[in-house]
Amino acid sequence: MDRAFFLDKDKCKGCTNCMRKCPTEAIRVVNNKAIINIEKCIHCGECIRVCPYNAYEPSTDKLEDIDKDKISIVIPSVTVYGQFGHGTETCKIHRALLSIGFDYVYDESWGAELVSKAINKKLKEKDIPKPLINSNCPAVIRLIKVKYPSLLDHLVEIQSPMEIAAKLAIRKVKEIFKKSSKPIEVFYISPCPAKAISVRKPIGMNGSSIDKVISFKEIYGDLVRAIKMQDDMCFSTPSLEGLQWCISGGQAKAVNADNSISVSGIENVMNILDEIELGKLEHVDFVELMSCNGSCVGGSFNFENPFVAKNNINYIIKNTDHSMVLNDDLEKFEEFEELGYFEDELDLKDSIEKKIDLKAAVKRMEEIEKIYGILPRLDCGSCGSPTCRALAEDIVDGINELDSCVILKLRNRS
Amino acid sequence: MGNLIKKYEHVVVTDNFDLAGKASSSIKRVLKNLGIPPMLVRKVAIISYEAEINIIIHSHGGKMILEIYDDRIRIKAQDKGPGIENIDLALSEGFSTADQKARELGFGAGMGLPNIRKNSDNFNIESTSEGTKIEIDIIMD
Repeated sequence: MDRAFFLDKDKCKGCTNCMRKCPTEAIRVVNNKAIINIEKCIHCGECIRVCPYNAYEPSTDKLEDIDKDKISIVIPSVTVYGQFGHGTETCKIHRALLSIGFDYVYDESWGAELVSKAINKKLKEKDIPKPLINSNCPAVIRLIKVKYPSLLDHLVEIQSPMEIAAKLAIRKVKEIFKKSSKPIEVFYISPCPAKAISVRKPIGMNGSSIDKVISFKEIYGDLVRAIKMQDDMCFSTPSLEGLQWCISGGQAKAVNADNSISVSGIENVMNILDEIELGKLEHVDFVELMSCNGSCVGGSFNFENPFVAKNNINYIIKNTDHSMVLNDDLEKFEEFEELGYFEDELDLKDSIEKKIDLKAAVKRMEEIEKIYGILPRLDCGSCGSPTCRALAEDIVDGINELDSCVILKLRNRS
Repeated sequence: MGNLIKKYEHVVVTDNFDLAGKASSSIKRVLKNLGIPPMLVRKVAIISYEAEINIIIHSHGGKMILEIYDDRIRIKAQDKGPGIENIDLALSEGFSTADQKARELGFGAGMGLPNIRKNSDNFNIESTSEGTKIEIDIIMD
């Protein structure tokens, strides 16, 4: 499956809200139904958020997909801890996860702490492109691939915390369940469609260590009920450094970058990418770009308001005893580094080299400009194309017609 | 030298920081839409942005011209003076004559001309009190 969400055509009324919000202009509305161009879709989830009819639905896995013949590992995204009120100990959430069917829990934040170290080391290398851009937001990676391919070499080539957590979890489980011959499967509880699709259809890397992804909303109810059943005995906490990764600015802080910029929200991200493209930020070491407002706490598969979730996360960071973070993996950075765990060759360069017929391209653009000249530039979207410029392009490419412009029709009538 | 396929001209106004970057954004958009390789677009974007800001800060106004040939992209930045007193000095990194107003806006780090030259395949500059003319080529293979 190439998608982490789908459009329920019966619910879609063709209102154009998603089309106008889409940052890569991947959506068109034809015959009152939205159509997504998969090539352009970066899985940022803006359409899911903005749809007034809730017509976009996750097509992620479910609890029933846990295979009883396998050892099931679950990696809750760090954002999960922000979805419950103050006083919900993270170990209760871990236990709740075990009680609803998983065999082993490994925390993404532990992966994040180790990845922070790896990025910190990378930042100290000479001859790295500046600024380095984080590569843990799959929507941003896809955005750069689709709209800013000249910046691909700025992406830091280090695996994301969820992938590192998965690798370490598998390692741990093989140790613990040594005598078992059962195969292992890894679940990730995702805050967004972007992370889900990065598992199903990874770009840049060879494959994901994660097998199945469950949207947080999908299991929220089961979790809330299960948490209530847990007693107060606590045994593990997330890495406090890693926990910050889901809050805007937290990643830059965790990687200890001297000179950094943290940006969240897809429009802000595009504005800063424009600046980087102009060579204006070469004096900055690290740029943290997160597609959702407020970073991963703002993911569209989450339940809680992003600001409330951030408050919940900060509460945990403030009220957790650091000495309670018990995971011997956190001490083994050098060992994992030697094993090559962190390296990630982002092979995205395919989109760069393309032969073009310049004369034909100029002719096409002249036609586009001619049509754009007579359009109202209102960008209302009623024609089914996201902007007047996009309509001009669509007309030239033969997928829309001038007759679709309601404003021109009204003007011609009067 | 290949054939000229298309030419665009943008007027650039002194001290108008609301419009600063509009000409270079438009140049960048045109090249992206034409499908010019991203690395070349980026070079042209850096060059034209620096050149545009130079005109806004240091000149009495001028224009930016984009010429698309079948083998190269040419950027011409032309202003109406007062000219660059010492071109060699202006081409050295870190040199700046930008005033306080421009510096407060984050311009004038003195990387303009050196950055333009660094990113171009051919670089030509002429400057008199009547004005400065810069001509830059980015070659397409």
